[in-house]
Amino acid sequence: MSQRIPVIEGLFAERSDGPRLIGSRCTTCATPYFPKSPVCHNPGCDQSKMEDAAFGPTGVLFSFAVQNYPPPPPAKYDEPYRPYAVGMVDLPEGLRVLGRIATDDFSQLRGGLPVHLIVDRMYHDSEGNEVVTWQFRPAPVLAQADDRRMKP
Amino acid sequence: MTEVAVLGVGMHPFGKFEGKSVGDLCRTAVVAALADAGISWREIEAVAAASSRFSGGKGWGLNGNDVVEDMGSTGVPVYNLSAGCSAGGNALNVGYTLVASGLHDVVLVVGGEKMPKGFIQTSGVEEKTDPEFLRQRCIGVSGPAFWGMLCRRRMEDYGTSEEHLAKIAVKAHANSVHNPYARFRKPFTLEEVLKSPMVCFPLRLYEICPVSDGAAAAILCSARFARRKTSKPVWVASSTVATARFDDGVTRHLAAVSPKGRTMHSEAKIAVEKAFERAGLGPRDLNLVELQDNTVYYELAFPEEWGLCSEGEAERLVEKGETVPTGKLPINPSGGFQSFGEATTAMGVFQVAELTWQLRGEAGGRQVPHARVGLGQTIGLGGNATAVVLKS
Ligand SMILES: [Zn+2]
Repeated sequence: MSQRIPVIEGLFAERSDGPRLIGSRCTTCATPYFPKSPVCHNPGCDQSKMEDAAFGPTGVLFSFAVQNYPPPPPAKYDEPYRPYAVGMVDLPEGLRVLGRIATDDFSQLRGGLPVHLIVDRMYHDSEGNEVVTWQFRPAPVLAQADDRRMKP
Repeated sequence: MTEVAVLGVGMHPFGKFEGKSVGDLCRTAVVAALADAGISWREIEAVAAASSRFSGGKGWGLNGNDVVEDMGSTGVPVYNLSAGCSAGGNALNVGYTLVASGLHDVVLVVGGEKMPKGFIQTSGVEEKTDPEFLRQRCIGVSGPAFWGMLCRRRMEDYGTSEEHLAKIAVKAHANSVHNPYARFRKPFTLEEVLKSPMVCFPLRLYEICPVSDGAAAAILCSARFARRKTSKPVWVASSTVATARFDDGVTRHLAAVSPKGRTMHSEAKIAVEKAFERAGLGPRDLNLVELQDNTVYYELAFPEEWGLCSEGEAERLVEKGETVPTGKLPINPSGGFQSFGEATTAMGVFQVAELTWQLRGEAGGRQVPHARVGLGQTIGLGGNATAVVLKS
């Protein structure tokens, strides 16, 4: 039976209060990391002290681009290829995260747009499993409309 | 420190050469550089080479060793440098350092590449610990999409139009018509560029560089050696290597720390500013720039980030045609990566060849009038960058 599986284990979690990115933070200098980092990379930090941290679910779009052509390996996608948007999202935790921007209406995208974290389908693997990844959905008006459409 | 001269340069034309190996391309460039310098292979005391990711080097990036074996093994030391697309610049820097330190009088710097077809597959490994692999597998953000994101933000911040972007590509190809080493030597109209397929909105096919096969070589030597060979040497005023700062806001991994200031490639800015400082020269002294235009966007962002023009001024320079060879700030008179295509690890040496021809006044129809000081710059995966200032 086909399953819903994360694209890579350990990068995000679907919690009861919504999805989160799984990373870490240095308690000395408060620098956030995604994915988890075993040490603090801040050259201004005197003592690396890492603790687990979860990031999201809200952020602000810094910028975006559209992947109009199919990307080369090791990227994967379902056929027929459909262009998607990718973006840099600034989280209030002080982290700028790359991710897909979950919308087909690219014309609405601009810097400063509020977005929220979701986990959604990316491609199907050879066994038919639905491979999911973290994405950012423009919030809130369009998101609600999309949520309704997604329900069976 | 000894003064360092560029005694000779050579290139293999850029393009797609099915029947040739990377060794063939490098040999052509090296032989041309030796002839240009007026010296023999046996006079080369050391070799600094860019490690190719895509071709030759015995699969270990030993491309300098390939060149030495091919030209005739003389026992010279070989340095193979790996720095993504910045490797040619790193090789140049090591060659420069070997001469400047007084260790060697004559050094060969070489970079060559045979690129696979299509868009560059940036990640070479499928490992969960490799950030480039994670970016591609978990998000699917290609190189052009990354440039597109930076460009799109600039369009919002500074009012960059699609015409501005296209105009830079038109300028690049207008220059390439006069460069026998360029791959694409055909002029493009604004309309042709604007009608080219969208690769990663907002960037179109003719606004990003393709990949090419190509090679370039340069002979560096001490002032003492140079004066024996020529009355008009081109000098390396400075050569620098830098890596990125921790907090510049450029997402080289899945995430970065949100920057406090402007988002920019800090590695390139550091390399260029250090190059000016060490040369005792500044933006006002520059007559031309050969910068890494993987995308036309960089021709807008880089000059501002390095202080060659003021913030938001880059689009005005493009509008007024000030970046053409006869303008106030000539950028990429060679035709740039847009016209050559990127033979990744050769590019830092390719820039030195063009700057040398320009400073000698040998650049023909693309000549920058009265060129005396030129800047070259590369940037590569891993947050690598290099800069070089040449002066006549
Ligand atoms: Zn820290």
